[in-house]
Amino acid sequence: MNVETPVFTTPDEQVAWLGTDPIPAKAYYDPEWFELERQAIFMRSWIEVGHACELPEPGTWIRRELEFADASILIVRGKDDRIRAFYNACTHRGTQLVEEESGKGANFLCPYHFWNFGDDGRLVAAPDFKRFAPLTKEECSIPKVAVDTCAGLIFVNLDPEPKHTLREYLGEYADRLETLPVAKATTFHEYVYEIDANWKITYDNFQENYHLRHVHGLTGVATVHQQNQYGYPDKYTFNGPHRTQQIWVNPEPLIKPMQGYNLGLVANDCAQQGIMGSPDSRTYFALFPSLFIIGTPMQHFSHKVYPISATKSRGVFRIYWVDDDDSATRRYAREYALCSLRDIHTEDVNIINRAQKGLLSGAIKKIHFMTMEGLCRHLYQQVVARVEDYLEEREAAGETA
Amino acid sequence: MSKMLPDGFEALEYFVERWAVDGTANRDRRRGDSTENERVAFFEAAKGLIPQALELLDRKPLDEFNEREQRLMNMVLSFAHVAMAVEMLGDAEPRHARFREVMRITRSPADA
Ligand code: FES
Ligand SMILES: [Fe+2]
Repeated sequence: MNVETPVFTTPDEQVAWLGTDPIPAKAYYDPEWFELERQAIFMRSWIEVGHACELPEPGTWIRRELEFADASILIVRGKDDRIRAFYNACTHRGTQLVEEESGKGANFLCPYHFWNFGDDGRLVAAPDFKRFAPLTKEECSIPKVAVDTCAGLIFVNLDPEPKHTLREYLGEYADRLETLPVAKATTFHEYVYEIDANWKITYDNFQENYHLRHVHGLTGVATVHQQNQYGYPDKYTFNGPHRTQQIWVNPEPLIKPMQGYNLGLVANDCAQQGIMGSPDSRTYFALFPSLFIIGTPMQHFSHKVYPISATKSRGVFRIYWVDDDDSATRRYAREYALCSLRDIHTEDVNIINRAQKGLLSGAIKKIHFMTMEGLCRHLYQQVVARVEDYLEEREAAGETA
Repeated sequence: MSKMLPDGFEALEYFVERWAVDGTANRDRRRGDSTENERVAFFEAAKGLIPQALELLDRKPLDEFNEREQRLMNMVLSFAHVAMAVEMLGDAEPRHARFREVMRITRSPADA
């Protein structure tokens, strides 16, 4: 062993405060519990849905489907350069305004009776509108959705009156996110999956390293070392409902020849862009409820898990890049980065399917998280806290749970 | 036979038909429906030529390639996919290829 190799210490004590209790398995498949999570969390948290680089100029817009709310949302950069969001629904009789995924244009024309909406969702024209009297056009604006950005990432909140601004919600992580390359990103790779698994089972897989050596034996071999045989992180932090891990740097990674060459090209490119070595370049942010973003400039990916039902989810991975492809080398290096990350994530998706299937019979009543699965435990505890708050609120409002 | 690639890449001519593929998702699909022999043959023939190919292609903006250069670019990009299969996954590639089908590539800067 190289004498200069630092001795790795597992950060068990940093997660000791989370306790060691077994976790009720039901929370990972029960439709009633899922309905509570949906109301208590997804219908009123800031949910990441895209990036400002998808709205490069005034008049550009994107459509996003949020299955957990049965909602289609339009996110628009207006003539005044402001980003707004409103439902993709006509205020006449509810028809969806657009089917395209993205587009450009100052107006949204409903195909049914040609009500025409501006880029701020206001009704600007409607045929023979006088026959709706006494209705006024002012009353026919499309319901708005709260929207804001941090580090270029676009978040929406379906609560008509969000309790926190996005900044308040992200807390001290907001400023740190702004220092990441994603804040300057201009383009991205994207790959997506649908999975028959609960959103927490899906998400948890990506916030523990215990599985790395077993599931990624070939693709993830560079993460393990005799000092740290599981590739555990060297630090955890917690901030409200959010959490981070710090990726451990393997001093002697096993790297294959072309892998080394290809990743070297990405590293050179990022170094020339001056985006290497930021304070959070080893931080893997887990932002409540279900967003990840990793600080590593060379593999700068975000991953969002959208719940669909108690046992169905949709995932979106993106690898963000600063500046467009401007040379063959950059294009090749980035394509390799895509292949290597997607291969690893593919292995994850396969095992998550099986993790869910084993729970469905109900025979397994409790599951167990060890210390290095502490981030999964933290997520569960944060979910429970929000569901409890929500039930209390409902009770106080005189509704039955 | 007329040459399909720029001068200096004669050793890769044989692989043009199989591996000069346009589009990231198409390249992934080609990786998935290729045989191990095809992948290994391409990997072995191309790995030493990648630096040379990039050096040549870097001399021009990406949207000014002639047909031969574009083919070479597409082959180099296919090599990124094949390198993962041959160098990292080896025997596990066929099983892995089945899992990969659920992970749909929906956007790539290389397709812009
Ligand atoms: S439903 Fe949109 S104009 Fe009638
Ligand atoms: Fe994994």
